[in-house]
Amino acid sequence: MAGMDIAVTGLGLVTPGGIGVGPSWAAVCDGRPTAALDPVLANNPVRISSRVPGFDPDTLLSARRAHRLDRFVQFALVAAHEAVADARLDPTTWDGARVGVVLGCADGGPGTVEDQHDVLRERGADQVSPLLLPMQLPNMLAGQTAIEFGATGPNLVVATACASGATAIGMARDLLALGRCDVVLAGGSEAMITPLVMAGFAQMGALSRREDDPSSASRPFDADRDGFVAGEGAGILVMERVVDARARGAHIHGRIIGFGATADAHHMTSPHPDGAGIEAAVRAALADAGADPDDVQHVNAHGTSTPLNDLAEARMIKRTLQGDPLVTSTKGVTGHLLGAAGAVEAAFALLSVEHEIVPPTAGLRIPDGRIDIKLAQSATCMPIDLALSNSCGFGGQNTALAIAPA
Amino acid sequence: MLEQLQEILSNKLKVSPEAITPEATREDIELDSLAVVELSLLLKSELGLDISDDDLLETETVADMVRLMEERSAKV
Repeated sequence: MAGMDIAVTGLGLVTPGGIGVGPSWAAVCDGRPTAALDPVLANNPVRISSRVPGFDPDTLLSARRAHRLDRFVQFALVAAHEAVADARLDPTTWDGARVGVVLGCADGGPGTVEDQHDVLRERGADQVSPLLLPMQLPNMLAGQTAIEFGATGPNLVVATACASGATAIGMARDLLALGRCDVVLAGGSEAMITPLVMAGFAQMGALSRREDDPSSASRPFDADRDGFVAGEGAGILVMERVVDARARGAHIHGRIIGFGATADAHHMTSPHPDGAGIEAAVRAALADAGADPDDVQHVNAHGTSTPLNDLAEARMIKRTLQGDPLVTSTKGVTGHLLGAAGAVEAAFALLSVEHEIVPPTAGLRIPDGRIDIKLAQSATCMPIDLALSNSCGFGGQNTALAIAPA
Repeated sequence: MLEQLQEILSNKLKVSPEAITPEATREDIELDSLAVVELSLLLKSELGLDISDDDLLETETVADMVRLMEERSAKV
Protein backbone atom coordinates (compact mmCIF):
# COMPACT_ATOMS: atom_id res chain seq x y z
CA MET A 1 0.00 0.00 0.00
CA ALA A 2 2.94 2.34 0.64
CA GLY A 3 3.30 4.92 -2.07
CA MET A 4 -0.30 4.61 -3.30
CA ASP A 5 -1.55 8.15 -3.79
CA ILE A 6 -5.24 8.76 -3.40
CA ALA A 7 -6.70 12.05 -4.58
CA VAL A 8 -9.47 14.03 -2.99
CA THR A 9 -11.41 15.59 -5.85
CA GLY A 10 -14.58 16.64 -4.06
CA LEU A 11 -15.32 18.21 -0.67
CA GLY A 12 -18.62 18.76 1.09
CA LEU A 13 -19.12 20.21 4.56
CA VAL A 14 -22.01 20.90 6.90
CA THR A 15 -20.59 22.34 10.13
CA PRO A 16 -21.49 24.75 12.89
CA GLY A 17 -19.47 27.28 10.86
CA GLY A 18 -22.03 27.05 8.06
CA ILE A 19 -23.50 24.90 5.32
CA GLY A 20 -20.90 24.33 2.64
CA VAL A 21 -17.13 24.33 2.32
CA GLY A 22 -16.95 28.12 1.82
CA PRO A 23 -18.71 29.20 5.04
CA SER A 24 -17.13 26.41 7.10
CA TRP A 25 -13.59 27.21 5.95
CA ALA A 26 -14.14 30.95 6.44
CA ALA A 27 -15.35 30.35 10.00
CA VAL A 28 -12.26 28.35 10.99
CA CYS A 29 -9.85 30.73 9.24
CA ASP A 30 -11.52 33.64 11.02
CA GLY A 31 -11.34 31.77 14.33
CA ARG A 32 -15.04 32.50 14.86
CA PRO A 33 -16.45 30.35 17.72
CA THR A 34 -19.92 28.87 17.26
CA ALA A 35 -20.76 27.58 20.74
CA ALA A 36 -23.89 29.02 22.34
CA LEU A 37 -26.55 28.16 24.88
CA ASP A 38 -28.91 25.60 23.31
CA PRO A 39 -32.67 25.77 24.10
CA VAL A 40 -33.02 22.01 23.45
CA LEU A 41 -30.73 21.47 26.45
CA ALA A 42 -32.60 23.87 28.73
CA ASN A 43 -33.15 21.18 31.38
CA ASN A 44 -29.71 19.60 31.05
CA PRO A 45 -26.78 19.94 33.43
CA VAL A 46 -24.75 21.42 30.54
CA ARG A 47 -26.58 23.59 28.01
CA ILE A 48 -23.81 24.58 25.57
CA SER A 49 -23.57 23.24 22.02
CA SER A 50 -22.41 24.16 18.53
CA ARG A 51 -25.30 23.77 16.07
CA VAL A 52 -25.33 23.95 12.28
CA PRO A 53 -26.91 27.35 11.59
CA GLY A 54 -29.97 27.59 9.34
CA PHE A 55 -30.17 23.90 8.46
CA ASP A 56 -33.55 23.37 6.77
CA PRO A 57 -33.67 19.79 5.45
CA ASP A 58 -36.98 20.33 3.63
CA THR A 59 -35.28 22.94 1.44
CA LEU A 60 -31.87 21.30 1.16
CA LEU A 61 -33.37 17.87 0.40
CA SER A 62 -36.97 17.19 -0.61
CA ALA A 63 -39.47 17.40 2.27
CA ARG A 64 -40.57 13.84 1.55
CA ARG A 65 -37.00 12.53 1.68
CA ALA A 66 -36.13 14.57 4.78
CA HIS A 67 -39.19 13.23 6.64
CA ARG A 68 -37.75 9.71 6.43
CA LEU A 69 -34.16 10.53 7.43
CA ASP A 70 -32.61 11.19 10.81
CA ARG A 71 -30.67 14.43 11.10
CA PHE A 72 -27.30 12.63 10.88
CA VAL A 73 -28.22 11.24 7.47
CA GLN A 74 -29.64 14.58 6.33
CA PHE A 75 -26.30 16.24 7.08
CA ALA A 76 -24.44 13.56 5.13
CA LEU A 77 -26.62 13.82 2.04
CA VAL A 78 -26.30 17.60 1.90
CA ALA A 79 -22.51 17.36 2.26
CA ALA A 80 -22.31 14.49 -0.24
CA HIS A 81 -24.23 16.47 -2.88
CA GLU A 82 -21.74 19.31 -2.50
CA ALA A 83 -18.78 16.91 -2.70
CA VAL A 84 -20.03 15.08 -5.79
CA ALA A 85 -20.80 18.36 -7.57
CA ASP A 86 -17.38 19.69 -6.57
CA ALA A 87 -15.75 16.58 -8.06
CA ARG A 88 -17.70 17.19 -11.28
CA LEU A 89 -18.91 13.60 -11.31
CA ASP A 90 -22.33 12.68 -12.67
CA PRO A 91 -24.02 9.91 -10.66
CA THR A 92 -26.56 9.40 -13.45
CA THR A 93 -23.81 8.14 -15.75
CA TRP A 94 -21.17 6.63 -13.48
CA ASP A 95 -20.67 2.87 -13.09
CA GLY A 96 -22.30 2.55 -9.67
CA ALA A 97 -20.79 -0.88 -9.08
CA ARG A 98 -17.36 0.76 -8.94
CA VAL A 99 -18.48 3.45 -6.48
CA GLY A 100 -18.15 2.73 -2.77
CA VAL A 101 -19.46 4.55 0.27
CA VAL A 102 -17.53 4.44 3.55
CA LEU A 103 -18.83 6.74 6.25
CA GLY A 104 -18.36 6.99 9.99
CA CYS A 105 -20.58 7.94 12.90
CA ALA A 106 -20.45 7.34 16.61
CA ASP A 107 -24.09 6.89 17.51
CA GLY A 108 -26.46 6.81 14.53
CA GLY A 109 -29.71 8.61 15.21
CA PRO A 110 -30.27 9.07 18.95
CA GLY A 111 -32.71 11.92 18.29
CA THR A 112 -35.11 9.55 16.56
CA VAL A 113 -34.71 6.98 19.34
CA GLU A 114 -35.47 9.54 22.04
CA ASP A 115 -38.51 10.88 20.17
CA GLN A 116 -39.95 7.42 19.69
CA HIS A 117 -39.19 6.43 23.27
CA ASP A 118 -41.41 9.35 24.28
CA VAL A 119 -44.14 7.98 21.98
CA LEU A 120 -43.79 4.54 23.55
CA ARG A 121 -44.16 5.88 27.08
CA GLU A 122 -46.93 8.36 26.34
CA ARG A 123 -49.03 6.61 23.68
CA GLY A 124 -48.06 2.93 23.67
CA ALA A 125 -46.03 0.50 21.60
CA ASP A 126 -48.61 0.34 18.81
CA GLN A 127 -48.04 4.02 18.06
CA VAL A 128 -44.26 3.74 17.59
CA SER A 129 -43.19 4.79 14.09
CA PRO A 130 -42.29 2.10 11.57
CA LEU A 131 -39.46 4.43 10.60
CA LEU A 132 -37.76 4.12 14.00
CA LEU A 133 -35.27 1.48 12.94
CA PRO A 134 -34.58 2.57 9.36
CA MET A 135 -34.02 6.12 10.54
CA GLN A 136 -31.70 5.49 13.47
CA LEU A 137 -29.55 2.52 12.46
CA PRO A 138 -25.95 3.70 12.05
CA ASN A 139 -25.50 1.82 8.76
CA MET A 140 -28.27 3.91 7.18
CA LEU A 141 -25.65 6.63 6.83
CA ALA A 142 -23.96 4.73 4.03
CA GLY A 143 -27.11 2.90 2.90
CA GLN A 144 -29.09 6.07 2.26
CA THR A 145 -26.10 7.73 0.61
CA ALA A 146 -25.87 4.80 -1.78
CA ILE A 147 -29.57 5.13 -2.58
CA GLU A 148 -29.16 8.85 -3.20
CA PHE A 149 -26.28 8.42 -5.64
CA GLY A 150 -26.80 4.95 -7.13
CA ALA A 151 -23.56 3.69 -5.57
CA THR A 152 -23.77 -0.10 -5.57
CA GLY A 153 -20.16 -0.91 -4.65
CA PRO A 154 -18.87 -1.68 -1.13
CA ASN A 155 -21.00 0.09 1.46
CA LEU A 156 -19.73 0.44 5.02
CA VAL A 157 -20.25 2.39 8.19
CA VAL A 158 -17.30 2.61 10.54
CA ALA A 159 -17.78 3.16 14.26
CA THR A 160 -14.61 4.18 16.08
CA ALA A 161 -16.33 6.85 18.19
CA CYS A 162 -14.72 10.25 17.60
CA ALA A 163 -12.23 8.80 15.13
CA SER A 164 -15.02 7.37 12.93
CA GLY A 165 -14.90 9.92 10.11
CA ALA A 166 -11.13 9.68 9.81
CA THR A 167 -11.14 5.90 9.99
CA ALA A 168 -13.70 5.85 7.18
CA ILE A 169 -11.38 7.94 5.01
CA GLY A 170 -8.56 5.53 5.77
CA MET A 171 -10.72 2.53 4.87
CA ALA A 172 -11.71 4.28 1.65
CA ARG A 173 -8.02 4.75 0.84
CA ASP A 174 -7.52 1.01 1.27
CA LEU A 175 -10.50 0.12 -0.97
CA LEU A 176 -9.15 2.36 -3.74
CA ALA A 177 -5.58 1.14 -3.37
CA LEU A 178 -6.73 -2.49 -3.53
CA GLY A 179 -8.68 -1.73 -6.70
CA ARG A 180 -12.04 -2.67 -5.20
CA CYS A 181 -13.53 0.72 -6.17
CA ASP A 182 -12.74 3.53 -8.58
CA VAL A 183 -14.53 6.23 -6.58
CA VAL A 184 -15.41 6.30 -2.87
CA LEU A 185 -17.57 8.76 -1.00
CA ALA A 186 -15.92 8.84 2.42
CA GLY A 187 -16.31 10.81 5.59
CA GLY A 188 -18.55 11.08 8.60
CA SER A 189 -21.72 12.58 9.98
CA GLU A 190 -23.14 13.08 13.44
CA ALA A 191 -26.24 14.57 15.10
CA MET A 192 -25.91 13.69 18.77
CA ILE A 193 -26.93 16.92 20.47
CA THR A 194 -29.95 15.41 22.20
CA PRO A 195 -30.98 15.72 25.85
CA LEU A 196 -30.14 12.10 26.70
CA VAL A 197 -26.77 11.94 24.94
CA MET A 198 -25.72 15.29 26.32
CA ALA A 199 -26.75 14.25 29.83
CA GLY A 200 -24.51 11.23 29.43
CA PHE A 201 -21.53 13.32 28.29
CA ALA A 202 -22.16 15.74 31.17
CA GLN A 203 -22.24 12.93 33.72
CA MET A 204 -18.86 11.76 32.42
CA GLY A 205 -17.45 15.19 33.11
CA ALA A 206 -16.45 15.48 29.45
CA LEU A 207 -18.21 18.77 28.63
CA SER A 208 -17.17 22.35 29.24
CA ARG A 209 -19.39 24.03 31.82
CA ARG A 210 -18.39 27.56 30.92
CA GLU A 211 -21.98 28.77 30.69
CA ASP A 212 -21.04 32.31 31.69
CA ASP A 213 -19.11 32.61 28.41
CA PRO A 214 -20.26 29.82 26.08
CA SER A 215 -18.57 31.17 22.95
CA SER A 216 -15.16 30.61 24.56
CA ALA A 217 -16.06 27.27 26.12
CA SER A 218 -14.02 25.24 23.60
CA ARG A 219 -10.39 26.10 24.44
CA PRO A 220 -8.05 23.49 22.91
CA PHE A 221 -4.63 23.34 24.60
CA ASP A 222 -5.52 26.29 26.88
CA ALA A 223 -4.53 26.31 30.53
CA ASP A 224 -8.20 26.87 31.50
CA ARG A 225 -9.78 24.27 29.23
CA ASP A 226 -12.48 22.34 31.06
CA GLY A 227 -14.02 20.00 28.48
CA PHE A 228 -15.40 19.86 24.96
CA VAL A 229 -18.41 21.48 23.35
CA ALA A 230 -20.54 19.07 21.35
CA GLY A 231 -21.03 19.99 17.72
CA GLU A 232 -22.90 18.42 14.80
CA GLY A 233 -22.51 18.15 11.06
CA ALA A 234 -20.85 16.16 8.30
CA GLY A 235 -17.79 16.06 6.12
CA ILE A 236 -17.73 14.06 2.89
CA LEU A 237 -14.80 13.55 0.53
CA VAL A 238 -14.85 12.20 -3.00
CA MET A 239 -11.75 10.03 -3.29
CA GLU A 240 -10.22 8.35 -6.31
CA ARG A 241 -6.80 7.17 -7.42
CA VAL A 242 -4.57 10.05 -8.48
CA VAL A 243 -3.95 8.44 -11.86
CA ASP A 244 -7.71 8.28 -12.54
CA ALA A 245 -8.33 11.83 -11.32
CA ARG A 246 -5.56 13.18 -13.53
CA ALA A 247 -6.79 11.16 -16.51
CA ARG A 248 -10.22 12.79 -16.33
CA GLY A 249 -8.75 16.25 -15.69
CA ALA A 250 -10.27 16.58 -12.23
CA HIS A 251 -9.23 19.28 -9.80
CA ILE A 252 -7.32 17.66 -6.94
CA HIS A 253 -7.63 19.39 -3.57
CA GLY A 254 -4.90 17.24 -2.09
CA ARG A 255 -3.85 13.65 -1.57
CA ILE A 256 -4.37 11.19 1.25
CA ILE A 257 -0.96 9.55 1.22
CA GLY A 258 -1.00 7.68 4.52
CA PHE A 259 -3.37 6.06 7.02
CA GLY A 260 -2.67 4.64 10.45
CA ALA A 261 -5.16 3.12 12.88
CA THR A 262 -4.41 1.76 16.34
CA ALA A 263 -5.96 1.03 19.72
CA ASP A 264 -4.71 2.20 23.12
CA ALA A 265 -6.08 -0.95 24.79
CA HIS A 266 -5.94 1.10 27.98
CA HIS A 267 -9.24 2.57 29.28
CA MET A 268 -12.83 3.01 28.09
CA THR A 269 -12.64 6.81 27.94
CA SER A 270 -9.23 8.13 29.00
CA PRO A 271 -6.48 8.23 26.37
CA HIS A 272 -3.19 6.57 27.18
CA PRO A 273 -1.54 9.30 29.28
CA ASP A 274 1.57 9.67 27.16
CA GLY A 275 -0.30 9.36 23.86
CA ALA A 276 1.23 5.99 22.97
CA GLY A 277 -1.78 4.91 20.91
CA ILE A 278 -2.04 8.02 18.80
CA GLU A 279 1.76 8.00 18.37
CA ALA A 280 1.55 4.51 16.93
CA ALA A 281 -1.21 5.67 14.55
CA VAL A 282 0.89 8.65 13.45
CA ARG A 283 3.93 6.48 12.88
CA ALA A 284 1.84 4.00 10.89
CA ALA A 285 0.36 6.76 8.72
CA LEU A 286 3.82 8.19 8.03
CA ALA A 287 5.23 4.76 7.23
CA ASP A 288 2.30 4.22 4.85
CA ALA A 289 3.16 7.55 3.23
CA GLY A 290 6.85 6.69 3.03
CA ALA A 291 7.53 9.87 5.03
CA ASP A 292 9.74 10.75 7.96
CA PRO A 293 8.16 12.08 11.19
CA ASP A 294 10.39 15.16 10.98
CA ASP A 295 8.86 16.05 7.59
CA VAL A 296 5.45 16.94 9.09
CA GLN A 297 4.87 20.68 8.85
CA HIS A 298 1.30 21.00 10.07
CA VAL A 299 -0.98 19.02 12.40
CA ASN A 300 -4.73 19.44 12.60
CA ALA A 301 -4.88 17.99 16.10
CA HIS A 302 -7.71 16.07 17.67
CA GLY A 303 -7.44 18.82 20.35
CA THR A 304 -10.79 18.38 22.07
CA SER A 305 -10.31 20.98 24.84
CA THR A 306 -10.49 18.25 27.47
CA PRO A 307 -7.68 18.26 30.06
CA LEU A 308 -6.51 14.70 29.40
CA ASN A 309 -6.69 14.45 25.61
CA ASP A 310 -4.91 17.70 24.86
CA LEU A 311 -2.04 16.98 27.22
CA ALA A 312 -1.52 13.44 25.94
CA GLU A 313 -1.69 14.52 22.30
CA ALA A 314 0.65 17.48 22.83
CA ARG A 315 3.21 15.25 24.54
CA MET A 316 2.96 12.83 21.66
CA ILE A 317 3.48 15.58 19.06
CA LYS A 318 6.50 16.98 20.93
CA ARG A 319 8.06 13.55 21.30
CA THR A 320 7.31 12.18 17.84
CA LEU A 321 7.40 15.06 15.36
CA GLN A 322 10.79 16.68 15.77
CA GLY A 323 10.25 19.06 12.87
CA ASP A 324 8.26 21.40 15.14
CA PRO A 325 5.06 21.43 13.05
CA LEU A 326 2.49 24.19 13.38
CA VAL A 327 -0.45 22.70 15.28
CA THR A 328 -4.05 23.84 15.33
CA SER A 329 -7.32 22.51 16.66
CA THR A 330 -10.33 23.71 14.72
CA LYS A 331 -12.60 22.54 17.54
CA GLY A 332 -12.27 26.00 19.07
CA VAL A 333 -14.56 27.09 16.23
CA THR A 334 -16.71 24.07 15.47
CA GLY A 335 -16.87 22.31 18.79
CA HIS A 336 -16.39 18.55 18.71
CA LEU A 337 -18.31 16.93 15.87
CA LEU A 338 -17.80 13.49 17.46
CA GLY A 339 -18.04 10.80 14.76
CA ALA A 340 -17.89 13.47 12.05
CA ALA A 341 -14.91 15.30 13.57
CA GLY A 342 -12.20 13.28 11.85
CA ALA A 343 -13.73 13.76 8.41
CA VAL A 344 -14.39 17.47 8.83
CA GLU A 345 -10.88 18.03 10.19
CA ALA A 346 -9.29 15.99 7.38
CA ALA A 347 -11.16 18.32 5.00
CA PHE A 348 -9.78 21.33 6.86
CA ALA A 349 -6.26 19.88 6.71
CA LEU A 350 -6.69 19.35 2.94
CA LEU A 351 -7.83 22.97 2.59
CA SER A 352 -4.82 24.10 4.65
CA VAL A 353 -2.51 22.26 2.26
CA GLU A 354 -4.37 23.53 -0.81
CA HIS A 355 -4.64 27.17 0.27
CA GLU A 356 -1.45 27.29 2.37
CA ILE A 357 -3.29 28.60 5.43
CA VAL A 358 -3.26 27.11 8.92
CA PRO A 359 -6.37 28.26 10.83
CA PRO A 360 -5.93 29.65 14.35
CA THR A 361 -6.63 27.62 17.46
CA ALA A 362 -9.70 29.61 18.43
CA GLY A 363 -10.33 29.74 22.16
CA LEU A 364 -6.64 29.43 23.00
CA ARG A 365 -5.61 32.29 25.28
CA ILE A 366 -2.86 31.07 27.60
CA PRO A 367 -1.39 27.72 26.56
CA ASP A 368 -1.13 25.08 29.27
CA GLY A 369 2.42 25.42 30.65
CA ARG A 370 2.91 21.65 30.35
CA ILE A 371 2.24 21.83 26.60
CA ASP A 372 5.38 22.56 24.59
CA ILE A 373 4.32 22.53 20.94
CA LYS A 374 4.02 25.28 18.32
CA LEU A 375 0.35 26.27 18.37
CA ALA A 376 -1.25 28.45 15.68
CA GLN A 377 -2.60 31.43 17.60
CA SER A 378 -3.57 33.30 14.44
CA ALA A 379 -4.25 32.29 10.84
CA THR A 380 -0.83 31.56 9.37
CA CYS A 381 0.14 31.47 5.69
CA MET A 382 2.69 28.76 4.92
CA PRO A 383 3.35 26.19 2.21
CA ILE A 384 2.73 22.66 3.51
CA ASP A 385 4.25 19.57 1.91
CA LEU A 386 3.02 17.19 4.58
CA ALA A 387 0.16 17.54 7.10
CA LEU A 388 -1.38 15.21 9.62
CA SER A 389 -4.97 15.01 10.81
CA ASN A 390 -5.24 13.18 14.14
CA SER A 391 -8.37 11.62 15.64
CA CYS A 392 -8.97 9.71 18.86
CA GLY A 393 -12.13 7.98 20.06
CA PHE A 394 -13.56 6.68 23.30
CA GLY A 395 -12.56 3.07 23.54
CA GLY A 396 -8.99 4.08 22.76
CA GLN A 397 -9.31 4.04 18.98
CA ASN A 398 -6.91 6.31 17.09
CA THR A 399 -6.56 7.31 13.46
CA ALA A 400 -4.01 9.47 11.70
CA LEU A 401 -4.17 10.59 8.08
CA ALA A 402 -1.16 11.92 6.18
CA ILE A 403 -2.08 14.60 3.66
CA ALA A 404 -0.05 16.13 0.84
CA PRO A 405 -0.67 18.75 -1.87
CA ALA A 406 -1.95 17.84 -5.32
CA MET B 1 -62.63 12.81 3.30
CA LEU B 2 -60.40 13.43 0.27
CA GLU B 3 -59.33 16.75 1.76
CA GLN B 4 -58.57 15.15 5.11
CA LEU B 5 -56.48 12.43 3.49
CA GLN B 6 -54.68 15.01 1.36
CA GLU B 7 -53.91 17.04 4.46
CA ILE B 8 -52.47 14.08 6.36
CA LEU B 9 -50.42 12.93 3.37
CA SER B 10 -49.00 16.35 2.65
CA ASN B 11 -48.60 17.79 6.16
CA LYS B 12 -47.54 14.69 8.06
CA LEU B 13 -45.92 12.44 5.47
CA LYS B 14 -44.64 15.33 3.33
CA VAL B 15 -46.05 13.95 0.10
CA SER B 16 -46.03 16.61 -2.60
CA PRO B 17 -49.60 18.09 -2.53
CA GLU B 18 -49.97 18.25 -6.30
CA ALA B 19 -49.29 14.52 -6.57
CA ILE B 20 -52.25 13.60 -4.34
CA THR B 21 -55.07 13.23 -6.86
CA PRO B 22 -57.92 10.70 -6.64
CA GLU B 23 -56.35 8.72 -9.49
CA ALA B 24 -52.87 8.64 -7.95
CA THR B 25 -51.62 5.17 -7.02
CA ARG B 26 -49.65 4.36 -3.88
CA GLU B 27 -46.56 4.26 -6.05
CA ASP B 28 -47.34 7.69 -7.50
CA ILE B 29 -47.36 9.19 -4.02
CA GLU B 30 -44.41 7.09 -2.81
CA LEU B 31 -46.28 5.13 -0.16
CA ASP B 32 -44.11 2.10 0.49
CA SER B 33 -44.94 -0.45 3.18
CA LEU B 34 -43.40 1.73 5.93
CA ALA B 35 -45.35 4.81 4.87
CA VAL B 36 -48.55 2.77 4.80
CA VAL B 37 -48.01 1.86 8.46
CA GLU B 38 -47.41 5.54 9.21
CA LEU B 39 -50.65 6.44 7.41
CA SER B 40 -52.58 3.81 9.34
CA LEU B 41 -51.32 5.27 12.64
CA LEU B 42 -52.18 8.80 11.52
CA LEU B 43 -55.70 7.88 10.41
CA LYS B 44 -56.24 6.55 13.93
CA SER B 45 -54.63 9.43 15.82
CA GLU B 46 -55.92 12.26 13.60
CA LEU B 47 -59.36 10.99 12.54
CA GLY B 48 -60.10 8.11 14.93
CA LEU B 49 -60.39 5.64 12.04
CA ASP B 50 -59.33 2.00 12.50
CA ILE B 51 -57.80 1.09 9.15
CA SER B 52 -54.91 -1.36 9.28
CA ASP B 53 -51.88 -1.21 7.04
CA ASP B 54 -53.04 -4.48 5.46
CA ASP B 55 -56.36 -2.81 4.58
CA LEU B 56 -54.52 0.10 3.03
CA LEU B 57 -52.26 -2.20 1.04
CA GLU B 58 -55.35 -3.64 -0.66
CA THR B 59 -56.23 -0.24 -2.09
CA GLU B 60 -54.95 0.82 -5.48
CA THR B 61 -55.52 4.56 -5.56
CA VAL B 62 -56.17 7.57 -3.37
CA ALA B 63 -59.85 7.34 -4.34
CA ASP B 64 -59.90 3.75 -3.03
CA MET B 65 -58.40 4.93 0.26
CA VAL B 66 -61.03 7.64 0.55
CA ARG B 67 -63.81 5.06 -0.06
CA LEU B 68 -62.35 2.86 2.67
CA MET B 69 -62.17 5.83 5.04
CA GLU B 70 -65.81 6.68 4.31
CA GLU B 71 -66.89 3.09 4.96
CA ARG B 72 -65.05 2.92 8.28
CA SER B 73 -66.25 6.37 9.22
CA ALA B 74 -69.87 5.30 8.70
CA LYS B 75 -69.31 2.43 11.17
CA VAL B 76 -67.84 4.70 13.86
